[in-house]
Amino acid sequence: MTTDELEKLLAQQPVAVLHRLARGRVQRHFRAGKRRLIELLLQHSSQNRAGFESDLLTLIGERQSGPTPGSSRRPGAPPGAHKHVAPRSSDTEPSDPPVSLTEWLQGLGVPAPQPFVQDPWQVEALAAVSETDVVISVPTGSGKTYVAIEAARRAMEDNRSVIYTSPLKALSNTKYAEFSKIFGPDKVGILTGDRQENGQAPLLVMTTEILRNLLYDAASGEIDVRLDTLGLVILDESQYLADPERGVVWEETIIFCPSQARLLLLSASIGNPQDIADWLTSIRATPCRLVRHSKRTVPLRAGYLHPNGRLTPLFRTLGIPQGHPGHLHPEAKHLFIEYEEETLPSGRARR
Amino acid sequence: MPPSIHPVDLISALRQKHLTPAIVFLTSRRACDEAMEAFDHANFVLPSVRQDAIAKALERVMAQHPSIAEHPLIPIVQRIGVAAHHAGHLPTWKIAVEELMRQGHLDAVFATTTLAAGVDFPARTVVITQSSIRKSRDFTDLTAGEVQQIAGRAGRRGKDHVGFAVITPSPYIDLSVLTKGLTGQPEAIDSQFTISYPMVLNLLKAHPHEHIQGILAKSFAQFQLNQRAEVLEQKLDALHIKMEPFGPRVCTDWITQWHTFDHARRHRHTRHPTYRTEPPEIAARLPFLTPGRVVGFSRGRGIVLRQYRSKGQRNSMLTVLRLESAVTECPVTSVKEVYDRTYDCPETSAYPWCSTDTFDRLSHQLDELPLRLPLLPILVSTDGEPLPDAVVQSLEDFPCPTCSSRSACQKDFLTASRLRQEQQRHTKSIQALRTSLWHRFQERVEVLQKFGYLTLTTQLTAEGEWARLIRIDHSLLITELIRAEAFTGADPSLLAGILASLAHDDDRPGAFPRITPGLSSLLGQVRKLAESLSPYEDPPLLRADVAALVERWVADPSLTWIGLCRLTTMAEGDIYRLLARTLEYLSQVQTLKTTHPGLAESAAHAITLIRRGVLEELP
Repeated sequence: MTTDELEKLLAQQPVAVLHRLARGRVQRHFRAGKRRLIELLLQHSSQNRAGFESDLLTLIGERQSGPTPGSSRRPGAPPGAHKHVAPRSSDTEPSDPPVSLTEWLQGLGVPAPQPFVQDPWQVEALAAVSETDVVISVPTGSGKTYVAIEAARRAMEDNRSVIYTSPLKALSNTKYAEFSKIFGPDKVGILTGDRQENGQAPLLVMTTEILRNLLYDAASGEIDVRLDTLGLVILDESQYLADPERGVVWEETIIFCPSQARLLLLSASIGNPQDIADWLTSIRATPCRLVRHSKRTVPLRAGYLHPNGRLTPLFRTLGIPQGHPGHLHPEAKHLFIEYEEETLPSGRARR
Repeated sequence: MPPSIHPVDLISALRQKHLTPAIVFLTSRRACDEAMEAFDHANFVLPSVRQDAIAKALERVMAQHPSIAEHPLIPIVQRIGVAAHHAGHLPTWKIAVEELMRQGHLDAVFATTTLAAGVDFPARTVVITQSSIRKSRDFTDLTAGEVQQIAGRAGRRGKDHVGFAVITPSPYIDLSVLTKGLTGQPEAIDSQFTISYPMVLNLLKAHPHEHIQGILAKSFAQFQLNQRAEVLEQKLDALHIKMEPFGPRVCTDWITQWHTFDHARRHRHTRHPTYRTEPPEIAARLPFLTPGRVVGFSRGRGIVLRQYRSKGQRNSMLTVLRLESAVTECPVTSVKEVYDRTYDCPETSAYPWCSTDTFDRLSHQLDELPLRLPLLPILVSTDGEPLPDAVVQSLEDFPCPTCSSRSACQKDFLTASRLRQEQQRHTKSIQALRTSLWHRFQERVEVLQKFGYLTLTTQLTAEGEWARLIRIDHSLLITELIRAEAFTGADPSLLAGILASLAHDDDRPGAFPRITPGLSSLLGQVRKLAESLSPYEDPPLLRADVAALVERWVADPSLTWIGLCRLTTMAEGDIYRLLARTLEYLSQVQTLKTTHPGLAESAAHAITLIRRGVLEELP
């Protein structure tokens, strides 16, 4: 093809084709008019004439052989099917129908009394705690207290003493009462700043601050003999490690905890239990075991109760759709939008 | 439609679907109490069988904690089977409510979201009405961990197949916070390690100063700092890899080398005075154009008085004495001839650049000059000896201009230097991370040395020995107060009052009984000291009302709990907590038996005085 022929051919093409040709070849081609575009293309074509000509021919062929280049990009798809995919592909709504209220309420009721069976994680934790330090991170209400009680019982059977700490005095009192019922009042003591009840008992309940003070006293030489026989330290609600004011107490307690005593950290679900376990491993004599699971013993369902008394499931699925906060039940969604519209002063949009 | 569902409707809706017992989390204590009142007004009455069951259960609790026997809420709870549970209640009352809930006698408990962690009893259903929580004066959104903690109370093991978390909207609820909280991962824990004064004292008591760094390195804070440092180090390694294409070069540190070279090259004009270029024949003349030299111009002749350089001129300038004693300035280029004749002409610093005698003599000699004068033969070197140039010389010190990788250096310099800056930044922050804890510790040590609790060799002084036993907030203020003998001779009630004002960190308002003059003057002293210590320690609230309240309780043993509660608008639970915190502080002061026997005794006395009535029941 001579340059003249090429120029004529280009002149016959619609501008759209010229622009497609110019893509990547000519800078700011979208600014140029047709004549200028042809000029620029010809200028450029001197660099790779063969490539340019073949591109031009395929484009012309495409145009003649069927639909316009614009629509050829999505062949055969039903109209509108693409619209959905683009914005939030991770959060698409499942196609199965949302759960109904009757389904959601099903299974309500009191289970028949069953003999108590340990959960697998409880077995695992109890086996581990006799050997090493253990961090337990499980959802609220999974039976952490059971592990604490069993671990304490086993330690006491080995004639080792046990310290159980909680972050709040009120919780200490509750646990003191609970443990007294289980082990007998003479086996359990409680320590507060100014009071001791049964201070020589093998199982002592106290707040974490008190234990920290005991450990400091022991470290500075006013040795408390009990720390030598201390076999197990249970720190309940260890997620308090992240408390802005009191978290440091948990750290101090863990750092100064005597090495012969096993540590048992009980915590609600947290994001980085592995970090805590790694930390314990790095500062304690024995490697720390992490026991975690995120499945609740009693499954949870979420519902939405409208102020007019209407109850619907909150999510499309029966359980909690982990990781999909957008999977709301259509009815709950509808009701909540209605609620917002009615309660918010007009003209003020939320978020 | 009301902005939120009425509590009675809420519970009846739940009851209808068999979703009771339920814990309803509300924003405020007042909301909880009002919800309970609403039930009371709704004439809602439990069947007598259940009323009896509640009464029986309460009796069992009363046997242990007799203080609740007279509790005004007992008949209401018994009648309506619903209770409020929040920090404004006495701990014993809360125990009673928890016990009733555990045994399944109540339909619902209204609790505050703030105390979600302290609610240690499950129910079939948890009702969430808010997406935010009050944390030190403002409301913040609930975290995923908190939402799950709240929802976690739903579903009793062994009593329920499923637990339910029901969200019911109230104004300003943000549903997405709750749905994200329910479906998301709980937050990661971040260390909140702080170094307090008692911690420093206790560490230094037990360990030599050089071991402390190792102990601090065991903290979770350090562990997390190390983790962050590791991430940075990985980034650093990635940068090293990115730098690889730029090597190998001739010199090891080619970036710095090139940078300085480039800098010298760019700045050589500004760093050195401008060098005037003159043609070689002119330049060759300059040394001869000294004062006293006779020169010829296109018209006439003259005698040079001085040669100088002027800023505005390209060429060197001459001041010339012309005929008829005229003094003119001209550039050297206008000199046409340089004659082989000079006169003696000592230069002076001011116009006319020589003494008046010399001037007169020179002008006379100029008139007397013969018509023809021999020219001075001045040799002009053709290639012109290059003048010594500091810049050119210093540039020649660089290997760059002749280096084989010069072109590569020039091309890659920008990218490489940016990468290296990043690298240096990372190295710095890694260092800062690794040493930050130790610096904080040192800061504390310096303060303690300043106040005389530590010697310069970081040994505990006699003061430090006892001060380390005060392991509570505001420890520096308390030990300084003890050293200032503020408490000497103070009776137990005053001591308890002051410690209460130190311990109480809640800013809920409360009316207070009239404050005694002794307490008020002591409190003024404490305020002054707290203010002077504020650079080293955050000052406490030092509320006079709580101090007066505790003082009253300690000073007047005949005062009953009810009487105390009548004195103030504070809630029972808050008063209880105030006294319990004061006990904690007092018990710390009590440990100073050996060094401050009088004070310790006073504290012990105050403890026994506080521990009466309700405060006796729980350890």
